[in-house]
Amino acid sequence: MSKLAIDFAIAFRNLLQHTRRTLFLGGAIAAVTMLLILLTGLSTGVRETMIESATTLSTGHVNVGGFFKVTAGQAAPVVTEYEKVVDVVRRTVPEMDYVVERGRGWAKVVSDTASEQLGVGGIDIKNEPHFKSVLKIVSGNIDDLAQPGTALIFDNQAEKLGVKVGDALTYSAPTTRGTNNTVDVRVVAIAKGMGLLSMWNSFVPIETLRALYQLRPDATGVVQIMLKPDAVDHVNEIAARLRSSLERAGNRVMDPVPQAFWMKFQSVSREDWTGQKLDVTTWEDEISFITWVLDALRWLTRVLITILMCIVAIGIMNTMWIAIRERTREIGTLRAIGMQRGAVLWMFMLESLMLGLFGTIVGAVAGTLIASLLNKAHLPVAQGLQFILMSDHLRLGVHATSVAFAIVFITCVTGLAALYPSRRASRLEPVVAMSHFG
Amino acid sequence: MRTSFARLVTTGLLALGVLAPRLAHAARSQAELVDILKKVDDRQKNSGDWRSIAYLEQKEKGKVDTVYDTEFYRRSEDQKFMIIFTAPKSSAGQGYLRLDKNLWFYDPSVGKWERRTERERIGGTNSRRSDFDESRLAEEYDPKDEGEETLGHFHAIKLYLTGKPGLDLAFPAIRLWVDKETMNVLKRQEYALSGRLLRTAYYPKWKKIYSESKKGDVWYPEEIRFYDEVEKENSTLILIKSVDPRPLPPNLFTKAWLESKSR
Repeated sequence: MSKLAIDFAIAFRNLLQHTRRTLFLGGAIAAVTMLLILLTGLSTGVRETMIESATTLSTGHVNVGGFFKVTAGQAAPVVTEYEKVVDVVRRTVPEMDYVVERGRGWAKVVSDTASEQLGVGGIDIKNEPHFKSVLKIVSGNIDDLAQPGTALIFDNQAEKLGVKVGDALTYSAPTTRGTNNTVDVRVVAIAKGMGLLSMWNSFVPIETLRALYQLRPDATGVVQIMLKPDAVDHVNEIAARLRSSLERAGNRVMDPVPQAFWMKFQSVSREDWTGQKLDVTTWEDEISFITWVLDALRWLTRVLITILMCIVAIGIMNTMWIAIRERTREIGTLRAIGMQRGAVLWMFMLESLMLGLFGTIVGAVAGTLIASLLNKAHLPVAQGLQFILMSDHLRLGVHATSVAFAIVFITCVTGLAALYPSRRASRLEPVVAMSHFG
Repeated sequence: MRTSFARLVTTGLLALGVLAPRLAHAARSQAELVDILKKVDDRQKNSGDWRSIAYLEQKEKGKVDTVYDTEFYRRSEDQKFMIIFTAPKSSAGQGYLRLDKNLWFYDPSVGKWERRTERERIGGTNSRRSDFDESRLAEEYDPKDEGEETLGHFHAIKLYLTGKPGLDLAFPAIRLWVDKETMNVLKRQEYALSGRLLRTAYYPKWKKIYSESKKGDVWYPEEIRFYDEVEKENSTLILIKSVDPRPLPPNLFTKAWLESKSR
């Protein structure tokens, strides 16, 4: 039996000998681990739902949008000669999965009985398989959106406007040159709401949008770049790279501002330039007005876990003090028969690390199981929360990496908490320790 | 309900004749038609400064009526224009200023100027800056004769105007009913690029005031009623009062002046 195995065996036996203490501390560590996994899962779930909804409805992982100004005060969310932009994107972003072009607009949508201001997304449904797969159609046929003069709206909008599939709507908006225009469309599909973003988004074929805003065939609203899954976390780096490439290709590119395109109208209109300027944004920029939810969740998780970790650390330190006090004579004997200080330190550290590891593994298993059960249960969330969570049910995103992180992190904290008492134990003089009573 | 009634009264005076048979008339030449537009413009042209008070009332389906008292100022020389809201309290101090072909909006609650488009709906109503401006129909549109019609007890010349190429106009086509006797506009219908009727305006009352700068009378509509033709139940009423065509102080059309007035 190797020395390390003996150390482990001793540490394990010591833990077993103090069953109550081990169970109490291990249980606390398991509970904190479980909570960390569930809170991280909630935050990850909301983030993933947000990305999915946002990238379905209004943004790519990275976007090349921009503004075209006929006069200094008249800005339109238009990218002219977008195919040249797509060429630059293809050359610059090898992480790209696919690219789509979408029209952008804001119009008054009028039915026979009501009206509403809505965003208008111009879409080529044949090239958007992701859009089709994510949207849940309540009535109608999404493929009919390929026909000109049609529209897809969401159930909450259909209710407000008092329309159903087959009914007519009028989209009214000024063109890029400020001339009033309208298009009449037929509702071909009504989709289930996807939270906040679907509140003010509707979709028409890109050609219908071009007719409304009098755009040329080579003009669009935004080039949306969808990345391969492993590149999604590097959007800022990709956006910066793309910004430089577009500038080198002779385009005027706006300075990065982490805001949705529609929040930039005021500042763009205030600037004294005309013509085309491109704007490279990430999905986080485009939904920056709701990412506070993610930030709030992250902070809540951090604060809760910090408090709990402090409690656990104090518990571990306290328990170790008690253990050292109880085992002072044992330490003295071990030191007297030749055990080095480092070995004593290692023995106590190993004990607490082992306790931490067992506790976190149990907590991780429990947390993963609970998260999985909650996901399967499709727990509905209150309507107010749906707008923010962008989903009608609770979804926890528990991944192997976050579980592994929780195990390693909490085990390390447990080990660190035991470091000082273990060091004190290792510094006891054998004579003093052996004569200790208590 | 009130909207429908108001519309009924207005159209009762004016629109009965829409159904009446067209009056027989000799076809007008293009030069004559342009001349009619010029006369329409000239009657409203002041060639100087202009100050008046306007009352705006907006009715929208399912919403509380909004009412504004405003003061508006304009200077023909360099096409400067300014509107200041004086009531209600929540909007008092807000204003629009047109400088160098740019329309600016000032909100004293945030103390900021924002550039707006020329097509901005004034105070969210269905009125635009151009509704308060001098008429420039002859400059902006090519007329087509559509005969004559009787609107109530008025004999009207009916014209179809299409925007001149190269000009960015809010309404690319307009149908106009001009009083044959006075050359005042009685009714105006504005169309979208798609050909859809967007807005109908009635001008039931015209008044004149002597202008020193013009050395003659300037005609202005004392009342304008706009009916939204897309959202049928929405309408806007504009009443123009206390018109003063005397010269205004030279420093009036500045951001600083509007800000000081807002305090």
